[in-house]
Amino acid sequence: MERKVLLEVKGCSKSFPGVKAFNKVDFDLYEGEIHCIVGENGAGKSTFIKMLSGALRPDEGTIIIGGQQYSYLTPALAHQLGITTIYQEISLAPELTVAENIFMGMEPVNRFGFIDFPKLDRESKKLLENLKIDLGVEALVGSLNIPQKQSIQIAKAMAREAKIFILDEPTASYSSNEIGNLLALVKEVAAKGVGVIYISHHLEEVFSIHDRITILRDGNKVASHQKNGVTLEKIISEMVGRDLSMFYTRELVDINYTKAVEFKDISGGDIKDVSFKIHQGEIVGLAGMVGSGRTDLVRLIFGADQKSSGTVFVEGHEIQVTNPSLAIKAGLSLLTEDRQKTGVILEHNVKWNISIVHMANTSGHFINERKEREDVNHYVKAIDIKTPTIYQEVRHLSGGNQQKVVLAKWLYADANVIIFDEPTRGIDIGSKEEIYKLMVQLARQGKYILMVSSDMPELIAMCDRVIVMRQGRIVGEIGRGQLSEENVLTYSIGGIL
Amino acid sequence: MSLNIELTKRTAKWINKSNRSVYYLLGIMVIAGIVMSFLDPNFLTVRNIFNVLNQQSTLGIVTMGVTMALIAGCIDLTVGNLLATVAGIAAIALSRWGLSDGWAILLACSAGLLTGVFNGILVVKTKIDTFIATLGLLTIYQGLALIVSKGNNIYLQGKFGWFGTYRVAGIIPLPVIYFMVITIIAYIVTRYTKFGRKLYAIGGNPEAAFLAGINLDLHKISAYAISGLLAGFTSLIVISRIGQSQPAMGVSYPLEAIAASVIGGVSLSGGRGTIPGVFLGVILLGLIRNSLNILRVPSFYQYVMLGSIIIIAVTLSNLGAARKAGNPN
Repeated sequence: MERKVLLEVKGCSKSFPGVKAFNKVDFDLYEGEIHCIVGENGAGKSTFIKMLSGALRPDEGTIIIGGQQYSYLTPALAHQLGITTIYQEISLAPELTVAENIFMGMEPVNRFGFIDFPKLDRESKKLLENLKIDLGVEALVGSLNIPQKQSIQIAKAMAREAKIFILDEPTASYSSNEIGNLLALVKEVAAKGVGVIYISHHLEEVFSIHDRITILRDGNKVASHQKNGVTLEKIISEMVGRDLSMFYTRELVDINYTKAVEFKDISGGDIKDVSFKIHQGEIVGLAGMVGSGRTDLVRLIFGADQKSSGTVFVEGHEIQVTNPSLAIKAGLSLLTEDRQKTGVILEHNVKWNISIVHMANTSGHFINERKEREDVNHYVKAIDIKTPTIYQEVRHLSGGNQQKVVLAKWLYADANVIIFDEPTRGIDIGSKEEIYKLMVQLARQGKYILMVSSDMPELIAMCDRVIVMRQGRIVGEIGRGQLSEENVLTYSIGGIL
Repeated sequence: MSLNIELTKRTAKWINKSNRSVYYLLGIMVIAGIVMSFLDPNFLTVRNIFNVLNQQSTLGIVTMGVTMALIAGCIDLTVGNLLATVAGIAAIALSRWGLSDGWAILLACSAGLLTGVFNGILVVKTKIDTFIATLGLLTIYQGLALIVSKGNNIYLQGKFGWFGTYRVAGIIPLPVIYFMVITIIAYIVTRYTKFGRKLYAIGGNPEAAFLAGINLDLHKISAYAISGLLAGFTSLIVISRIGQSQPAMGVSYPLEAIAASVIGGVSLSGGRGTIPGVFLGVILLGLIRNSLNILRVPSFYQYVMLGSIIIIAVTLSNLGAARKAGNPN
């Protein structure tokens, strides 16, 4: 049977400063097809969704929908063409009922122009039964859980006769039971002729529902496979496989295995019973997909969020960490992921930014300005921060130099355990290497280093050991000898080595 | 389009500079001073200068407290009605309970301090936007001021006059001395103490400050406490000068204090501004009012002009803040 093509993307590209996020990708979607997209963090999946939902304009290429060619879509146009992106929470009104949400903006009216509620409920009920969604139409949406809300969004899109559904990581924070229900619903919807673009890190989900799998890597389409035409191992090898020239080569440092910082049974929020050690001079990587809980974990360790349980030992001594101030006193530090929002104070100068932790966590009420100036100048020189003077506002510095300012403030505060969260995100290659060199230097000085990173080459090049997280737990640990993109990825997506 | 962007950039740069530097304010005042002294020889006399300082001393002291809170990113609108409430208490203490001057001063300062602490705790614990929270509190103090005084003016019957009117060496009014001393203390606190630096950090980026181990709540409460304390202290000057407390006095202080801060370079979103700048902001407001008086501009028109100046200053500050919120590159 000849199936109708719903969507065709031809040679679409999108560049951001310094990155080609999407490179001449072809993609198509048939009526009733479930087309899955897999790829590592930063492979170009989000860029693709944003182009289809009209949030981003491609630099080149065409999008063909219903025989019409478009060089870009707008959100309104995407909506009009029947493209719906299903999100986890937003776009539903919590104070309205299921039925009111499903028909929002297109409610049936009676002859007086008022909403015909009996008809509204009847129609909604029919729709839900049709999709095998087991929910009362009069329930308030605010009282539903996330999976239920998501199914209501799907019903809402069906009521609007949307033709193309995009689901981006729909099952994050789902239980296995709920995942089953969602996958069944997605199949049900596809059986009614809707084309589904399904994006997930969870390869087992992808395997259970796909008609086709497309693999993206660094903005390129690597391959497409029909159902039953491919194995899990093959897909993993296609998701990874970077050129070796992308890897930085570091000097190795002797690790002192007699001294360690130990985290025991750390729980809190989505993090469950995480235990691990960092030895003196060791660089430990924390890998995992976006949403696997890496940032949550380091915030718990640092006392920025409250742990429900767990203990921290620094060189054998148990320490209480219930707020950042206590963590800092125990020698911990955290270089956050979003350095502009939580790392530096953009409007303040280099001096203030570098001295803040030292200033706030040492005794005495007055600031010794002369000493402060000397110390700050010392660190600016020591790690080569490029700034005309220490009175320059940090917002005028480059990303790499801002990161160095953040590092300097922790060094000035005598941090012993240095936690980097995405240390080189948004930093140019030259500065990246400088940061790597500094890390190695710190390891040599006997610091304990933990590095959260989504950048595979970086993890593999820099780490003595990589811990892999998934759904708030540690699922694997890989020593430097066994470190490869494939191994890290296998653990990240729930596989076993 | 690009011309437009270029112009915006330039304006932003200019504003940024003028905000950070007290020299611009000084320049404006010197020019205004020269012009005014030509227009009226009385303008540049020692007597007139002390007059201006004296007139501005109450607003100036209140402004120092409000500035501390603003630096930490907190707006304090309560100072006016808080001042009236404390004024009522102090006036009752002096006239009806027969408290000595010293005890009355201590009572007023403590009442201001405690109220400030209460404001701070409320703002911190409810996590309501500080503008809204202190707007609510302002209304509560408006009520309290009326309750305390039963809606009446309370007369001091000749007592306590020295506190706000005595002139040292026959020329320097006491309130001017209070104002100077408090300004110098505020300068030292903001410039040379860790407490002050932490306020800047909290206002500049609360999340970064928290992760640097700074106790946000404690410092915000302290900033409100200082603001309350200074408003309480100021109430003493006011009742001493006019010989009575009035339940509706001081209502213009919060906005004038914020205006003076902003003119002096304090950012409404926090983290920026210096005490010398704020001091000049207070004096500039006073000079403008004084000049308009000397030029015999009718008082109704004076309000319009003063308001316009405040709006211009705040607008400039907002442009700076908008730039702060935007992409730093």
